[in-house]
Amino acid sequence: MQSSDRYWRVCAPVIRTSLAGTLLWIPALAGSEGSQATNWIDDLTPITQADWSYDLAGHLLERAGLGGTPQEVQALAEMPVAAAIGHVVNYEGIDASTLEDFDESGLWDPGMDPFPPSRAEAVRIARAEGQAMGVDVLPQGSTRRLQPVVDKFFYGLRANALETRRLALWWAGRMVATPRPLEEKMTLFWHGHFATSEAKVRDYRKLLLQNRTLREHATGNFRDLLMAVMRDPAMLVYLDNGQNIKDHPNENFGRELLELFTMGVGNYTERDIREASRAFTGWTNDAVEFRFDRDKHDDGTKEFLGQRGAFNGDDIIDIILAQPVTAEFVSSKLYRFFVREGPAPTTKARLARVLREADYELKPLLRAIFLSRDFYSAPSVATQIKSPVQLLVSTYRKLGLSEAPTIPDFNAQTRRLGQALLYPPNVAGWSGGRTWITPATLLERGNSMRDVLFPQDSESFGHPERRLPGIYARVAQRLAQGMNITNATRSGDSGSSMLADADEEYNTRYGGYRGYVLAYERVKLVPRHSAGFELAAIVRESGAATASEAVDHLVKRFLRTPLAAADRQQLVDLLTEQIGSQALGDDRAELEVALRSVLYVVLCSPEYQVG
Amino acid sequence: MNLRHLSKEPRRRDFLRQGLNGLGVGLSLPALLRTTSDALAADTLEGKPGSNPERILVVVELTGGNDGLNTVVPYRNDEYYRVRPRIGIRKKDAIAVNDEAGFHPSLVGFERLYKDGNLAVVEGCGYPDPSLSHFSSMSFWHTGVPNGGETLGWVGRFADAYSAPGTRNAIVNIGSSQSLAVRGKLHPPLVFAEPAQLRRIGSDTEKRSIAAFDLNAESQNPTLAFLRSVARNAADSGALVRDAWSSYRTPVDYGIAGGLSSDLRKVAALIAAGLPTQVYYVAYRGNSFDTHVHQADLHSRLLMYTADAIRGFMLDMGRIGRSADVSMMVFTEFGRRIEENASEGTDHGTAGPMFLVGESVKGGFYGATPSLTDTDAGNLKMTTDFRRVYATMIGEWMGHADTRSILKGEFEPLGAFA
Repeated sequence: MQSSDRYWRVCAPVIRTSLAGTLLWIPALAGSEGSQATNWIDDLTPITQADWSYDLAGHLLERAGLGGTPQEVQALAEMPVAAAIGHVVNYEGIDASTLEDFDESGLWDPGMDPFPPSRAEAVRIARAEGQAMGVDVLPQGSTRRLQPVVDKFFYGLRANALETRRLALWWAGRMVATPRPLEEKMTLFWHGHFATSEAKVRDYRKLLLQNRTLREHATGNFRDLLMAVMRDPAMLVYLDNGQNIKDHPNENFGRELLELFTMGVGNYTERDIREASRAFTGWTNDAVEFRFDRDKHDDGTKEFLGQRGAFNGDDIIDIILAQPVTAEFVSSKLYRFFVREGPAPTTKARLARVLREADYELKPLLRAIFLSRDFYSAPSVATQIKSPVQLLVSTYRKLGLSEAPTIPDFNAQTRRLGQALLYPPNVAGWSGGRTWITPATLLERGNSMRDVLFPQDSESFGHPERRLPGIYARVAQRLAQGMNITNATRSGDSGSSMLADADEEYNTRYGGYRGYVLAYERVKLVPRHSAGFELAAIVRESGAATASEAVDHLVKRFLRTPLAAADRQQLVDLLTEQIGSQALGDDRAELEVALRSVLYVVLCSPEYQVG
Repeated sequence: MNLRHLSKEPRRRDFLRQGLNGLGVGLSLPALLRTTSDALAADTLEGKPGSNPERILVVVELTGGNDGLNTVVPYRNDEYYRVRPRIGIRKKDAIAVNDEAGFHPSLVGFERLYKDGNLAVVEGCGYPDPSLSHFSSMSFWHTGVPNGGETLGWVGRFADAYSAPGTRNAIVNIGSSQSLAVRGKLHPPLVFAEPAQLRRIGSDTEKRSIAAFDLNAESQNPTLAFLRSVARNAADSGALVRDAWSSYRTPVDYGIAGGLSSDLRKVAALIAAGLPTQVYYVAYRGNSFDTHVHQADLHSRLLMYTADAIRGFMLDMGRIGRSADVSMMVFTEFGRRIEENASEGTDHGTAGPMFLVGESVKGGFYGATPSLTDTDAGNLKMTTDFRRVYATMIGEWMGHADTRSILKGEFEPLGAFA
């Protein structure tokens, strides 16, 4: 059987073709031929070779991966079903050596560790010790003798924030380029699960390390992952475990371990949190190394989840993993990430059993999910709102790009849409689902697609990460005009005397400005380029010769659920009007613009928001 | 002349009818037909008591943990000056409003509201087992369920129970991201930072084509139905908000531009334009009130912005004839440590004052003043559960009697509304 036949024949769950080739939305016919979409709900029985099709493969690539071109979907569809799932899940065999490592700018000078938590603290250290962060204060009698220290403090903040944005761009690029999409998708899942933000960590090295740890264990063993994350410097800092010491336990770490990472609220008591926290006392870090501080560890007897003993952190983790609710909590969250809301109670119990019986190995669970009829049932297909990261990355992958463009800026776009990588909103991660969508973000999602399809040229785009914020741009301007530091940094608003107060030993605003300047000198520039693709060539290569065929190709390529006939027709009309005929014609430039316009409209549709 | 009844009433009635007839295609789920919201919508149509469709609640969030003790100053309490030798507000500077309490000198705007009887101070607001983490504590105030696993916000749950099905823009949240407080099941809030954001880019042809998508088409796919309902909302509201904002002019002084004053002006513009919104939610950006170091000047400015903007807003409401319909509630996620810290600031604490503002508010002080000596390890012991204040706004102000199911417990309203 021809593979294209397969696509048109099965089209699960609810697509049919009329004789004219027009896609129609016929919900009443769902399940009436080919597809078992409705019967399959909550059925974890594996699908069979006979069920396997282009459309199911497309669904798999969308959910277990980050989307792909029709050719990639086709390749998956042509594999035997077990091999296709294996290809997605057992990605270690796929060569990923062409993916480049993060190219660090090298920002941390000797003495910068441990970095002071605030400017005030940096100043306090400098006064007491004559230096801070490896920078000496100026000799007695000098003007603003603490200024170099304050400059260095702000340099540390700015440089790490800028480098973290480079790191996020590198990760986004990896998501677009990787031949192992599940690896990145699971890394993203764990980033949301073990959410950690630069806003508090202020150290790109720790975030890079965490990102590597999450990737290394992405589809490995949950126990190994948990053990690694609880020793992860970024996490230790993010949850204040440095302050979790004998006699003064800080419960942040213990609370989130139970509430967000393993068991979920309602399955333990406040006392369990306190006891768990005691077991993690003394777990801390020196810069990017985990350190166990025996002197600060409480080695007394703890009573945790009904057990007594002189537990340490690892014991606590093992007690948690022995709770049936933990396997339920983790497997259900994965189900929600990959499949849909739920799962139903019976499904939940069965998925948890798969995870538990595999001793928390993740692959058997992932395989069971991706093979299950439930995964391909009607409520699971094209019902998930793409996260902002998924939206952008899959758009690039569907365009067939092998490299992420840097115009528009991925970070700026995802931030506006509510999902800046390495900046989750809080320790609970992104809520996901319908919370991605507000009227403003829905419009922004469309607008961000236009910036992809009609990108700014690199000249006018410039380097946004080198643009000083307004107040510092004013400082720079005034300094350039020859003003002294005090005058250049004077606040514009109603007679604040705050800066003048501090201007003798150091000037905070000047330090804030110098921090940017020093960071710009050290943090590598992001090369800016837009996406290189030719939509006209892509459409022609698909065999399309007319406006209708072009629209059908774009719809097939980008949407996981068909457009209503009227909506499709108006796109055909739009394209016909733009190129002046039904036939696609020879004017490549004109066709390119027209196709991009039409694609922009397609990508603004509610249909494109779901995958 | 009361312009409101000439211009607004018919629109609202139409709107409620449409809502009842299943205007929201994507919302035609059985869940929607829960008796509460159905009955409420019917009540509203009949104009029965029990709900107040004209009434508006504006919630103001002082993000970062406002220092309550330097906001409402116990200027006769020696202990206060003992523990705050450097940053305490001196007796001669505090604006005395009664024998015990004085406002911070920047709160001139609040003093005027107070003198007019339009400002209530609720002292010692907090919750049991307080968290000193911004994130946790703020999420407790947002959900209204401290130390619980609630995932929806109290404003969202209120709108779910109160606002008629299909109500467009029942909640407006000014901000770059949606607050957890406004997250509900039925009413996607209108969230934006700048009105200009609610604009689609592209050529006229493209925009026309996008606008031509049939957003009223039925769908078996609930996610698609949801997206279409939000897309309708965005299409309708986008122009509405931008028009409201561009045509809005006010002679009223809201204080220094930016931050809260700009955001409350946006709220005023939408109210002036007659949006059917029942709750507006505005918040300071970032952790503005997190005053750990050298807080005096910064805190003084923040309080001035807040009081000036809020008084300006209420004056503006009077100007457009809506001051009887609008009440405000001001909160923060926690107060700060009683004792000042080593860097002339204050660290995270527990209880703090809330403020209710509006013509219908019975001005004065509510709740007991927390003790500065009988403390919880240096933190104030709360005297008023903040959910009593929520119950006051939901029950007494908005007229929704069943505060229990929204707040997941019985909380006695304060009796703060006339």
